[in-house]
Amino acid sequence: MEDFIDKLPQMDLMRSEKMTLVQLIIPVESSHRCITYLGELGLLQFRDLNADKSPFQRTFANQVKRCGEMSRKLRFFKDQIDKAGLRCSPRHELEPDFELGHLERQLADHEHEVLEMNSNSEKLRQTYNELLEFKIVLQNASGFLVSSNAHAIGDETELHESTYSNNGFIESSSLLEQEMRPEPLNQSGLRFISGIINKDKLLRFERMLFRATRGNMLFNQTPSDEEIMDPLTSEMVEKIVFVVFFSGEQARTKILKICEAFGANCYPVPEDTTKQRQLTREVLSRLSDLEATLDAGTRHRNNALSSVGYSLTKWITMVRREKAVYDTLNMLNFDVTKKCLVGEGWCPTFAKTQIHEVLQRATFDSNSQVGVIFHVMQAVESPPTYFRTNKLTNAFQEIIDAYGVARYQEANPAVYSVVTYPFLFAVMFGDWGHGLCLLLGALYLLARERKLSTQKLGSFMEMLFGGRYVIFLMALFSIYCGLIYNEFFSVPFHIFGSSAYKCRDTTCSDAYTVGLIKYRDPYPFGVDPSWRGSRTELPYLNSLKMKMSILLGISQMNLGLILSFFNARFFGSSLDIKYQFIPQMIFLNSLFGYLSLLIIIKWCTGSQADLYHVMIYMFLSPTEELGENELFWGQRPLQIVLLLMAFIAVPWMLFPKPFALRKIHMERFQGRTYGVLVTSEVDLDVEEPDSARAHGHQEEDFNFSEIFVHQLIHSIEFVLGSVSNTASYLRLWALSLAHSELSTVFYEKVLLLAWGYENILIRLIGVAVFAFATAFILLMMETLSAFLHALRLHWVEFMGKFFHGDGYKFKPFSFALISDDDE
Amino acid sequence: MGFLVTTLIFIVVGIIAALCARICCNKGPSTNLLHLTLVMTATVCCWMMWAIVYIAQMNPLIVPILSETE
Repeated sequence: MEDFIDKLPQMDLMRSEKMTLVQLIIPVESSHRCITYLGELGLLQFRDLNADKSPFQRTFANQVKRCGEMSRKLRFFKDQIDKAGLRCSPRHELEPDFELGHLERQLADHEHEVLEMNSNSEKLRQTYNELLEFKIVLQNASGFLVSSNAHAIGDETELHESTYSNNGFIESSSLLEQEMRPEPLNQSGLRFISGIINKDKLLRFERMLFRATRGNMLFNQTPSDEEIMDPLTSEMVEKIVFVVFFSGEQARTKILKICEAFGANCYPVPEDTTKQRQLTREVLSRLSDLEATLDAGTRHRNNALSSVGYSLTKWITMVRREKAVYDTLNMLNFDVTKKCLVGEGWCPTFAKTQIHEVLQRATFDSNSQVGVIFHVMQAVESPPTYFRTNKLTNAFQEIIDAYGVARYQEANPAVYSVVTYPFLFAVMFGDWGHGLCLLLGALYLLARERKLSTQKLGSFMEMLFGGRYVIFLMALFSIYCGLIYNEFFSVPFHIFGSSAYKCRDTTCSDAYTVGLIKYRDPYPFGVDPSWRGSRTELPYLNSLKMKMSILLGISQMNLGLILSFFNARFFGSSLDIKYQFIPQMIFLNSLFGYLSLLIIIKWCTGSQADLYHVMIYMFLSPTEELGENELFWGQRPLQIVLLLMAFIAVPWMLFPKPFALRKIHMERFQGRTYGVLVTSEVDLDVEEPDSARAHGHQEEDFNFSEIFVHQLIHSIEFVLGSVSNTASYLRLWALSLAHSELSTVFYEKVLLLAWGYENILIRLIGVAVFAFATAFILLMMETLSAFLHALRLHWVEFMGKFFHGDGYKFKPFSFALISDDDE
Repeated sequence: MGFLVTTLIFIVVGIIAALCARICCNKGPSTNLLHLTLVMTATVCCWMMWAIVYIAQMNPLIVPILSETE
């Protein structure tokens, strides 16, 4: 048996790939190229040998800074392109070998150009705005001046009566206006200031002017038809044209200061109408010129941006790669002669030849005289964990990794999870109608796989797409379990033959009181369809599903224990086998394995024994006669034996292991407790890796109490956990009951109820409500719920039996893995 | 009798599935072992589910009592 297990090849995903610690000695001239090629290969995880240095003390800090500066410029270009609303499709042209300095100069030139163009167009736009405002003021203020000219000889009271509307302007006069004596404009020194101001500042402006001039002013305003772009906020704001009539020099300075404070722009409007018209014509022509210039400027800038935009994504990728290469180079050490860089890293053992080839290619390409030295080192610390997954197993591996990354070379639960996870999901979801819907969804995702993998999806869609194979398997198992539970949207079918139950006599008179009888062999596949809708359906199915959950749970926990046995065998720890695996197996199976056996015997014999009673009284009074609870001959002595075995197993898993460990430790270090500091230096004739020198030696003090407490916790956890974990599997029953009941309610109380009416509208509404309820509650909520609970069963109940999960994941230096928003 | 026959059917289906997996994706001994493990696990899970439900119905303690329908 042992030989057979040993002769089997190592299963693919079961244990982490073997990793080796390698040391690279790279001559400086080929270092950049080496790292670039290694990045393309993506199978080496570098160790940071300069972890204690700050980012500024490192060798290549300057280059990293330059890369950072370049990526800032690239981001600037991207912003500008987005703001200008251009869409550039990348033009694929093969550029010659990429050189950092060359790209830097190019980017600096482009940036300079774009910044210059931006500032020019800023200035132009400002001038354009001013002219536009001037034009508006001219157009609207002329209306005031005409009217005030006409009214100069009129009465004072007419000032607040406006008889004509020119572009819908409102004439509002100040309150003390009536006492003011109107004087002809030119003779009495009544002057005016015209300008334009933001609409929201108007009221305060007017009040301020009123207070400052003590009411000796006339304020006219009219809104402008056009909106003007505010240069600061780049938004269109509404402006109001105003004209202030006043007298006196002091008032003028005050008003001008107030205008400045409120950001109102004043433009001089000539009183003469011909001059006005001339000025308006001039302004209009200048405006059109400026518009043309602005357009030309924008087009020129857009051209420059497009030419940048073609290569933008390529440049961004290149700069990111360069930065990654320099970051990696920063992890290496210069050796004594300053001519070589020394690096250490982890790589999978199978990749050693590939890395060797890559390094040789890099040496050749960089025309270096000296080759790269590449050799294996002894590792002090534990290697990273690496599983080679394909797209099917990747999702399951990630689910397991979410709980904890497996320790180096311990058994990987993902191997069994590929099947047991969808299976347990299906036990809780069992309905082949819903399973078919899930299957359709999964097939859609699988069919559009290639297209969807290149697109950028939203976070929800990305999760769904990432788990497409999980959903596919879940759907297949759900269909199977649905056929077993015989539920198609909660409706049973007679697919596998007729029911095993029939009426006692032809009149079926007592079918509603005593029930049917079973007249032949059980229904060949799944639950008999006669159960649906009967009064005893729930008691029967509950009993069935609870026992099923216990049986499935004990099987999965035993599988976990067996995996712990294989782990112990792999690591050569016979202590674990003798003092942990065996007592654990005995304890679990003598109590709960026995319960499973009783369940099966009760089913096979149809005995009326009460299993609760049997189990509880096995503990309370084991020597008592069983009476009608006896399922098989010899049950009482067997129970006593099993109870004794369980009692012995508890101290067996608690005491021997810490004492055995202490004995081993004493034997190993006998007489060496004082010699540790001296001899350990001499002992190591193997080259010690750079990084380990920093850690120092791992000779820890053997702390017996700590080991003992650890073992105590482990044992108590197992003993108490065996009860709670077994009970935890009852969630399989609970969720499948919930699913079945929800589905029955929706079918009977929505669909059938609505179908009972003759009205087509009610039927349609019923179908719609049924569809929505099925899709959202059953397909989405129940899926998530069953997903979560199956996950919990795996993480805690299954993996708790053997999984340590304190490893770290293998993260190779690879260009493919550099994320998009990694700045 | 029906139990044994159907169990045999499950075993046969499992063997056929394992052979199909071996024929379709034959990628070296370690990967083959992985595929075999997956097929075996799936067969065992499916058989257990069926067997539990079948055995539970062999000697039932209660029978369906029809409920009053309107």
